[in-house]
Amino acid sequence: MLTAVNGVKNQMRVTRLSIRYAVMREMLNKFTFLSNVLFMILNNACMIVQWVVLYSINDDIGGYTFKQMLLLWGLSASIYGFAHFLFEKAFHLSDTINTGKLDAFLVQPKNVLLQTISSDTKISSLGDLLFGFIMYFIHGFTIESFLLFIFFTASGGLILTAISIILNSLSFWLNKSDMIAEVGNSLMINFSTYPDGIFKGITRILLFTLIPVGIANYIPIHVMTDFNIYLFFINIGVTLLFMLFAFLIFYQGLKKYSSSNLMSARI
Amino acid sequence: MKKYWFIINMQIMSNLQYIFNIIFGFIGYFIMLFILFNLWQYLYSDPSELINGYSLLQMTWYVVITEILWSTLSGSKFCKKICNDVKSGNITYNINKPYSYIGYSLSTHLGDISVRLLVYTILGMLTGLLFLGSFPSLSLVSVLIVILTSIMALVIQTLFMIAIGLLSFFIEDANPFYWVYSKVILVLGTIFPIEYFPGILQTILRFSPVYVVSYGPAKLFVDFSWDAAFSIILAQIIYFVIAYLLCFAIYRKGVKRINVNGG
Repeated sequence: MLTAVNGVKNQMRVTRLSIRYAVMREMLNKFTFLSNVLFMILNNACMIVQWVVLYSINDDIGGYTFKQMLLLWGLSASIYGFAHFLFEKAFHLSDTINTGKLDAFLVQPKNVLLQTISSDTKISSLGDLLFGFIMYFIHGFTIESFLLFIFFTASGGLILTAISIILNSLSFWLNKSDMIAEVGNSLMINFSTYPDGIFKGITRILLFTLIPVGIANYIPIHVMTDFNIYLFFINIGVTLLFMLFAFLIFYQGLKKYSSSNLMSARI
Repeated sequence: MKKYWFIINMQIMSNLQYIFNIIFGFIGYFIMLFILFNLWQYLYSDPSELINGYSLLQMTWYVVITEILWSTLSGSKFCKKICNDVKSGNITYNINKPYSYIGYSLSTHLGDISVRLLVYTILGMLTGLLFLGSFPSLSLVSVLIVILTSIMALVIQTLFMIAIGLLSFFIEDANPFYWVYSKVILVLGTIFPIEYFPGILQTILRFSPVYVVSYGPAKLFVDFSWDAAFSIILAQIIYFVIAYLLCFAIYRKGVKRINVNGG
């Protein structure tokens, strides 16, 4: 038991270091680092104009007030930021598999999936993460909702990463599966910034099942607005389920992976 | 001029080999349109109701056209390519060729987007028809003018992206400038027509790139008038000249900073 706990601790330490070095690499040029973060905040802020205009037409859009819409927008940004800042490689896993770059991670005595997905970062996503929290504070601060916001940022980020791993892992079996992954990611991102009340029928069902934007983004907003223990546990359960599924699919696919004898250096 | 036509043709031939990828890429456009269609249907309690002078039919077709222009452009990838050309030094391979780098980049991109424009226009029209069941009333001449202004809009957008990408001569990564530029175009002219904004802002927007690269062609499609057509075409000619001169000025100043170290 103690060995297993030490093993997990050790793995977490290595993953943390992997992320840290990826960030340090990106921070070599301070101006580029800062401009990427600040302009991403500005970029996201531009989209608020859309909602200012829409709420001038109607006070209620899909059951959301303007402040709730800001919270949804903020949570979507912070979920995206969390996933891309920590696990950027999960969104390009298809390329890593197809070009044989997975070889470098296979020879390391650590978890292959965690090592791979944490080996790269997207600096501009730090801007998304910060923007999310700025939106949260504009919406209104309480200790409970702040803790929930942090929690849902992490759970949503893990769902987003897991979906990307699942879809990108199809590359072990299919050619051009990067296009499927791109569509999947685009579905998750585009739907997450619009209120669920505007969708009806089959679309609404899909948003809470196959395309789990409802679980990652909409349920958290409802829980933060009016706490519901069942919805809270549904969010946790689905997050764990997606993570488990991502690991299973990746390792199942890994059995089919064959090295391309690629010679490369990781700097 | 002949050499640029040759580059455009070459890119079109190359893109025709990947027609399946282009059709698959249409799914992204379809998702966005589907979301916006749901949003506008929610906001228009009565389809014949007018919001800021637009009916549900006009508003949805407006978005169909602006989204075709937006999705066809693939602006982010192209701007990144120009930035990388400058940062990696690849631009030096183009400098000693018998064409201008700006003309080359413009032709390459126009060739790249031509097939996509055709595919997205056909599929976009079918999608619009599927959602709405009818077109706005248009004559053959007005359709031709919409096509002409749409092509001009894409040319001007491409030149602006080249200008932004060339800023990499002075700062390492010019992509963040593109993010903000693209979001301004998206919010102030793609998702909404400019009539949705307050009076003063409307006046400013009528003199801004938003008017020529996004609002203009879509407005002519949903509510054609000769006055608007003349004013949009004139504004596009002026903006074409401004955008080209801007690219030329940045390139001329920037190219002096290149150091070739061999290799």
